[in-house]
Amino acid sequence: MRLVQGNEAVVWGALASGCNFYAGYPITPATEIMEYMARLLPGRGGVFIQMEDELAALGAVIGAAWGGMRGMTATSGPGFSLMQEHIGYAAMSQTPCVVVDSQRVGPSTGQPTMPAQGDVMQARWGSHGDRPALVVTASSVKEVYDTTRLSFEWAYAYRVPVIILLDAVLSHMRENIELPVLPASAELASPSGDPELPFGSHPFMPFSAATRTIVSGLAHDESGATRGSGIGTANEQILKGAIRQIENDAPRLARCRADRLEDAEWAIVSYGITARTARSAVDLLRADGVRVGLLELHTLWPFPEQIVQALAQRVRGMLMAELNLGQLVLSLRAAAQGMCPVSGLGRADGELFTPEAIAAAMSAEIRQIEVGGRMSHHV
Amino acid sequence: MSDVGADLKRYLRSPMMPTVWCPGCGHGNIARAIATALDRLAIDLGQVVILGGIGCSGRTPFYFNTNAMHTTHGRVLAFATGLKLANPRLTLIVAMGDGDALAIGAGHFVHAARRNIDLTVILYNNSIYGMTGGQQAPTTPFSFRSTTSPFGSIEPTFDAVDLALAAGATYVARTTTFDFAEMPELISEAIRHPGFAMVEILSQCPTYFGRLNKLGDAPDMLEYERDHTVVADEEPNQAVEITRQDLVGNLPVGVFRREIRPEYVQQYAELSRGRGGNYGA
Amino acid sequence: MHRAWHGDPLHIRLSGRGGQGIILSGVVVAEAAMLDGKFVVHTQSYGPEARLGASKSEVVISAREIAFPEVAQADVLLCLSADAYQKYGERVAAGALSVIDDLVVGAGRATGEVMLPLRRTAREMGNELSANMVGLGALIAIAGIADPEHGRQAIRQWVKPEFREVNLKAFERGMELGAACVAAPS
Repeated sequence: MRLVQGNEAVVWGALASGCNFYAGYPITPATEIMEYMARLLPGRGGVFIQMEDELAALGAVIGAAWGGMRGMTATSGPGFSLMQEHIGYAAMSQTPCVVVDSQRVGPSTGQPTMPAQGDVMQARWGSHGDRPALVVTASSVKEVYDTTRLSFEWAYAYRVPVIILLDAVLSHMRENIELPVLPASAELASPSGDPELPFGSHPFMPFSAATRTIVSGLAHDESGATRGSGIGTANEQILKGAIRQIENDAPRLARCRADRLEDAEWAIVSYGITARTARSAVDLLRADGVRVGLLELHTLWPFPEQIVQALAQRVRGMLMAELNLGQLVLSLRAAAQGMCPVSGLGRADGELFTPEAIAAAMSAEIRQIEVGGRMSHHV
Repeated sequence: MSDVGADLKRYLRSPMMPTVWCPGCGHGNIARAIATALDRLAIDLGQVVILGGIGCSGRTPFYFNTNAMHTTHGRVLAFATGLKLANPRLTLIVAMGDGDALAIGAGHFVHAARRNIDLTVILYNNSIYGMTGGQQAPTTPFSFRSTTSPFGSIEPTFDAVDLALAAGATYVARTTTFDFAEMPELISEAIRHPGFAMVEILSQCPTYFGRLNKLGDAPDMLEYERDHTVVADEEPNQAVEITRQDLVGNLPVGVFRREIRPEYVQQYAELSRGRGGNYGA
Repeated sequence: MHRAWHGDPLHIRLSGRGGQGIILSGVVVAEAAMLDGKFVVHTQSYGPEARLGASKSEVVISAREIAFPEVAQADVLLCLSADAYQKYGERVAAGALSVIDDLVVGAGRATGEVMLPLRRTAREMGNELSANMVGLGALIAIAGIADPEHGRQAIRQWVKPEFREVNLKAFERGMELGAACVAAPS
């Protein structure tokens, strides 16, 4: 048992997953990840480098992936905004990598460094054009470790940049957890595939003497060719395939934690640090005899539509609590398809909700629905 | 590229031909010089990666029979830094345009130079943005026209050699597409150089820069290059002593620095070994 | 008399000025409680606040998994500076224990506020920066928030070797100050 900080858990999870390349740029509240990597990677034979900005950081990670290393970077909102260009490049070039965004209040410099969850939609839709997205979060230090491990697995399985959303509180929070012993070096399967077909549904193959791969942000086909009359269609096929693969696997990718939902008439849906407050809110409401439960989302994208739909069918109302002015509630409402009312509770002032505030919002929604009210939307 | 000899064809990715470059563009000559340099150095093509950013120069990686990265505008050196650190055995040749290296990517350019990471930048300088149709670049000479400086540029010109020297590049050279024989020589030397090497090559863009500034067609522009440069490399660093007043519009060409200074990947390998790591072993 | 510090979960807030080792003292409390076999969550304020002005570090301790990680109303408060007292002095639960440095002017009138010479004691021992450990010793002696031996272990674990001895000594002096305070008739 050890007292471990959230940012430190990212590092242990990454190293246990074979991460051996880190490029970053300092920014609170993500910097400790970089500082741990700077101390640990040289002695493990990995690479650490501090780049000149966040664009460069993710660019270096992508370059390293093609050079055969497993890379990641970490940042906060302002840096995450800068990284969008290369998140798009990683998506287009199907380069596996992991990006941690420890969220703070935005937009712009916002509140350095108070917690927020305002980057949820940017994590899904950031960068121009369409792309597949895998975005995960966590609400405890142990989950940060587990989520990081999963992120590397998924980055390589789906050949996408996996985004881990943390927040200022979780990054700096310490909890006592059991960490598995870190192997001196992780066993990585050596890549195999057809050198002629480096893209599309084929496995990721770094550059080697046997390959002559052209990696490009231009539209391309499975061979990497970027010209010809059918390139637009070929490229759309690759993108569609990648998006569909994640959609098809959504049930497997949908990590969540159901808390007292068995007999629940009402559900609070939340994620990240806010889910912990919501759990306390459920305690308060249950003590008052309200049959409420909590659906805590660990996977944000793909949005766990099936789980939400099953819940929407059997509860009388749902409340989404999040530290923004109404982002994931939009997806929750869309997934609920009108089967039950969905309201949102949000704030972006740099403070966490108190359990009482979430309980009060849930109670207010219940009152409104019980007097025959329709869908409310109070942010 | 029509005059490429049979001996150089094996360096090129023939299915990607013809290139996107306009008739008369100097970039094909630079690509030929790169192929010639690779041939002279007899490097295993499996160990070479050619990288590029965005713009006319950025298309270079497509035309070589090597692994290749065509990256984002200005940021190719970030990708190259990660790639080189991940696999130090690779020989990296990075094609950059003047807008790519000196405008949007200037920040990355100076830091790669400062680190003295072992790679070779070939800076294709045609004094204009070609791919987007002839807009002003940081290298567009004062009073010269572009579609975004229709009345003549009022900005001072960025000197890539000055910038590279100031940033700490350890091999810095400049030549022109007119100097057909010198290009591959300088490129070979730059590739052999253990550190950050930059060869700036003044290249003609008859389509935009030439037309907008009434410089004639490609042969006229090559003569213009010849007539507006002065050779200044007999003694190392001599060119740096030449003041702008002496030049009155003439750019010095030659080798401006050959210096051995600790190289970044080697430095990192030493750090790793010192911490008990086996990086680079 | 209701003693808030007997509750579970136990909410502890440590406060002072940036540079007084507030975050370190929170980590030490969390480590000690972990060694006691409890679940702990430690949170901290960060940024300009941690370097200048009032700074806080919070620990929640429980026999069960902890949900809400922050402290709204502290059951136990340590206050090393006047600005921290102004900010956090009243944000305590009913029946809370507040150990406040006696150089903080205007404090000590509310129920549960105990004024102790934390900074003066540390200064006399040669290092005012160990006032945080004097305070921790006092908190452990008065409220029993962790086993004292685990407190010592936690200091050995988290304090840099060169400051370990002085911090351990400060902790013991704090324990004595706290014990004397418990023994004294109130």
